[in-house]
Amino acid sequence: MTTVMDLSNALAGAVERASGAVLAVHGRPRLPSTGVRWRAGLVVTANHTVEADREVTLTGPDGRTLSAQVAGRDPRLDIAVLRTDAESAPAADVADDGELRIGHLVLAVGAGPRASAGIVSALDVGGGRQASGEIVAVDLTLYPGFSGGPLVDVRGRVVGITTSGASRHLQCAVRASAVSRLVDHVVQGGRIPRAYLGVGTQAVVLPDALRDRLHLAQRTAVIAVNVKPDSPAAAAGLIIGDVIVSVAGHAIAEPEDLMAVLRPDRVGRAVTLSILRGGEPRDLEVIVGERPQRA
Amino acid sequence: MSVLSAPEASPPHLAWIAERLRQVTVEIHTEAGGGAGILWAADLVVTNAHVARDLWARVGLADDRHVEARLVIADRRADLALLRMPRSGAPPAELADSDALRVGALVVALGHPLGLRRTLTAGVVHALAPARPGGRRWIHADVRLAPGNSGGPLADTAGRVVGINTMIAGGLALAIPINDVRRFVASAAAGAT
Repeated sequence: MTTVMDLSNALAGAVERASGAVLAVHGRPRLPSTGVRWRAGLVVTANHTVEADREVTLTGPDGRTLSAQVAGRDPRLDIAVLRTDAESAPAADVADDGELRIGHLVLAVGAGPRASAGIVSALDVGGGRQASGEIVAVDLTLYPGFSGGPLVDVRGRVVGITTSGASRHLQCAVRASAVSRLVDHVVQGGRIPRAYLGVGTQAVVLPDALRDRLHLAQRTAVIAVNVKPDSPAAAAGLIIGDVIVSVAGHAIAEPEDLMAVLRPDRVGRAVTLSILRGGEPRDLEVIVGERPQRA
Repeated sequence: MSVLSAPEASPPHLAWIAERLRQVTVEIHTEAGGGAGILWAADLVVTNAHVARDLWARVGLADDRHVEARLVIADRRADLALLRMPRSGAPPAELADSDALRVGALVVALGHPLGLRRTLTAGVVHALAPARPGGRRWIHADVRLAPGNSGGPLADTAGRVVGINTMIAGGLALAIPINDVRRFVASAAAGAT
C-alpha cells in the first residue's frame, strides 16, 4: 500500500539520485547557478547564468572544483553546454519527457542539494509561438541559483532543465529531449550552430481585407526592414518591404516568432518563406545559413 | 500548495496528520505579542524565544481551554524558550529524528499565520544548511509561512515534529531542527534541578 510517507521518501530519494549529477556553476558574479552533467565531460546549464568571455568553474557534489569552457549556446532556449574534463562521475539519468503530463509531480533541484516541488502546469508554453513543444511550465518556485538545474520526476530522472530566463512570467523548464538535441550538436560538430537568415524585421498589422482575401488567421506579420547583402535571405531574393507571413508552415506574427523557428537543426536546410510583396502572396525558398560564432 | 493533491488520495491522509498536529500545537499570547508553540510534555510547551518574551504567557490549547504558563528558560541566541503550565490531558507531540531528514521530503507546518488558528501548509524540505556561511544548520522548507507560525511545528508525513518554524527568509521557512530543541530542553531540565 502506498502511504503519504512512501511518497515523501520517494521525493527525497529522487532528489538524492538526481543530485549526484548536479553541479554549482560559477559563470557570473556573486550568485552561482546550477548545472547538470548530461554526458561525460559535458555539463548543461542556463545560458543567461554564464557570462561571455568569463572563466567558468564548476563545483561538484563532492566539493571538488573543475574548470569548464562554453562549448555552445542556444539563447533561444536559454541553454548553454559547457565542456569540462571527462571524469568518472555519473551523468544524469535522462528520461523520456514524452511521458510528461499536466499535473505530474516534479521537483526542481539546485546545487547543495536544494529542492522545491510542484506540478507540471503546461506542456507547450507559448502555444507554438515561442520554441514550440520545447518548453514546459511548472508550478513550483525556482529559488535564486536554481536556473540550469534539473527538473526531475518522482523517480529522480531528469525530464528538463529549469530556467527563470525563458519566460518573464512563468517558471519554465526546457524539455530533456530539446536539451539532448543541443548536446548532440556539440558532440557531433563541437558547437551549437546558430541559424541565420540575414533579415531584420519588425511587426506590421495586416489589413482585414487582405487577411480575408488570403484566409490568414494571424493579425500581424513581420516586414523586412533590412536584408544583409550576401545573406541567405538576399540569395533567396527577399527584398526590403517584403512581409513575411510564415516560415516552414509556422505563422510569424512578431520578430520573436522568426527566432523561434530558426532552430539549430535547420542550418543548411531549405525552408519556405511565405511572403507578401505588393499585397500578393508568393513563396521563397531559403537555405538557412549559420551565424558566425562568437564565444 | 500543489503537492497536496497526490497525498490526499493515499492513506494516512494529510488531513489525519493535520488533526494529530492540531492537538499538539498551542497558541501563545503575551503582552508583547504571540505565536505558536508545541506541546512537549503534559506540562511543558516549547516555542521561540521571540514568541515568549514575557515571564507569563496565556496558552491556548486545542480544546479551546486557555491556561497560564510561566517561562522556565529562554535562550535568545538559539531563539528557543520553555514554558511550564498546569498539566493538560492532551498527549504531547511525537518527535522525529531531524538528522534523518532528507532534501525533497514532504513536510507540513502548523501554526496561526496572520491569526488563522491551527492552519496547515505543506511543501518539501528545500535544503539542510546554515542560513549563512559558518552558522548553525537550519531546515529550509519550501513551505509558506506567515507571522503567527513562529514557534509552531514543522512535521513529517507521519505527523512527527522535525523542527520549530522560526523565520521566513527569501520565501522559505527556516526551522530549528528538533534534535537541537531536544538538547535545549535537556540542558534546561538539567539546569532546573
